[in-house]
Amino acid sequence: MENSQNSNSNPNPNPIRIQNLVSSPIAVLWPTIDGSLGLSEEESVSYARRFYKFGFALLPFLWAVNCFYFWPVLRSHSFPRIRPYIVGSAIGFAVFMAIISSWALTFAIGGERLFGPVWDKLVMYNLADKLGLTGWS
Amino acid sequence: MAQNQRPTSILESLGEEIIRIVAPVSICMFMVVILVSILNSSSSSSAATVSSIATIAYNESSSDSSWDKFTGALLNSLVFVAIITVATFVMVLLFYLRCVKFLKYYMGFSAFVVLGFLGGEIALFLIEDFDVPVDCFTFLVVLFNFAAVGVLAVFMSKMPILVTQGYLVLIGMLVAYWFTLLPEWTTWALLVALALYDLAAVLLPVGPLRLLVELAISRDEDIPALVYEARPVVYHESNPRDAVQTRMRVWRERNEISGNLPAVLDSVSEGNVVSESSVDEIETSDSNPNSESSVVRSEEGQVLIRNSELLVPLIDIGGNVQPHGEEVSASNENLMLEGIGLGSSGAIKLGLGDFIFYSVLVGRAAMYDYMTVYACYLAIVAGLGITLMLLAIYQKALPALPVSIALGIMFYFLTRLFLEVFVVQCSLNLLMF
Repeated sequence: MENSQNSNSNPNPNPIRIQNLVSSPIAVLWPTIDGSLGLSEEESVSYARRFYKFGFALLPFLWAVNCFYFWPVLRSHSFPRIRPYIVGSAIGFAVFMAIISSWALTFAIGGERLFGPVWDKLVMYNLADKLGLTGWS
Repeated sequence: MAQNQRPTSILESLGEEIIRIVAPVSICMFMVVILVSILNSSSSSSAATVSSIATIAYNESSSDSSWDKFTGALLNSLVFVAIITVATFVMVLLFYLRCVKFLKYYMGFSAFVVLGFLGGEIALFLIEDFDVPVDCFTFLVVLFNFAAVGVLAVFMSKMPILVTQGYLVLIGMLVAYWFTLLPEWTTWALLVALALYDLAAVLLPVGPLRLLVELAISRDEDIPALVYEARPVVYHESNPRDAVQTRMRVWRERNEISGNLPAVLDSVSEGNVVSESSVDEIETSDSNPNSESSVVRSEEGQVLIRNSELLVPLIDIGGNVQPHGEEVSASNENLMLEGIGLGSSGAIKLGLGDFIFYSVLVGRAAMYDYMTVYACYLAIVAGLGITLMLLAIYQKALPALPVSIALGIMFYFLTRLFLEVFVVQCSLNLLMF
């Protein structure tokens, strides 16, 4: 595992490693989608944990960004410390999307027939007119 | 990609870098043009002018004479530039007193306001235009998510690069659209005034932006501002020795005055981790360490800047105010900078103010006709290319507004005066469409 992962916090003084670098590139697996421009593995753990926890503040988009950012973690099983947070974020995002999309679609498709007069009160463009939100105050 | 031994040519590397800056600028302009076309076609002649900080001196109405409009516009733009200057100096002062945390929080707050309120208003416009049956809960949740993640993206340095870049472009687009709602003469006068201000603020030794950059350089710190940084072009070379030679791009070399090499390596990294292992390679492969040529350090630490004078060719750029309405009037000041420079990783950095004002110009052109849009777009991209070239030659922070805005305005009026007549006549006579 040490050979297949690179962590910047450990500048490897191993000459064999450098030799390898000179003659052929090492296949390095980075935990983030940015690759070598992204985080190292240690930092990734704390970031993944932080994103996961913040996502509970009604921020499913943050969970989605978490999954996107650590996409290699989802694809390969070689980051055991980060993986639970990412899988948790993915599940949370899926659940939230299911809830929100079902509500939004019910609202949009059901319309007045389903909701009655409440629909007019809840729909955004009426609300915007009522509150004068688009007056560019 | 690392397998082929063919070294990248200068043209490819240069072209790649230019594309990585021109692409987001183009996307921002394109989206503003689309927004302008969609939203302004519905309320065609309703003077949806915004009373804001940019029109406190004079509010244009269509019944005034040309001379009145002209003087009113000049007055507006002078007031605006004065406010921006004051705000930039305040920012320089705060930076000098090391209140960087305050500036960062301010930046996050202004990003939240722009994304939340401005974004929300524009989304409401679109919803009303298209009669999208979305309810308020969904809308609020989505907007909150969008704004919160956006604040995190500009605040925290470690988000996916794509997300950060996307949000910066979005912020630029939203503010630019807001600016296009200003009255017409004021907009043009404002653009000219800001171009001149940018020129003065970055190049004059007393200019606030130049002070800011010099402070940042001397302290090796990052200016807390909204700046778009292009992804550095990473070279995958199997043989680093050859790689260094090919990476010594001509336009990045500087002659070193003295042989002293400060610990530039560490000072150059701006929190972007650079792999230290590859530095060893460079040391051994560089033939003369005290050579006169210095090469730009790429993100992987494979090329080094050895320039005792200019330690970190940073971003700098002038402060730029984006007030909006009666809300926090000075909210986004100075946090979106204009101008262009080189990041520590060698990637090109362009201030968000440049995005905004290029898009304002093109948005205004879109309000007239698409012909002017094409002409102004080409002019702006040409100006940006010229600025990049100057950046390569002078290797210091440069104002990115003047050249592009000058070319853009010139082409707008030339198109409107001459090209339009020509094309219309050709079309009428069925010669060319």
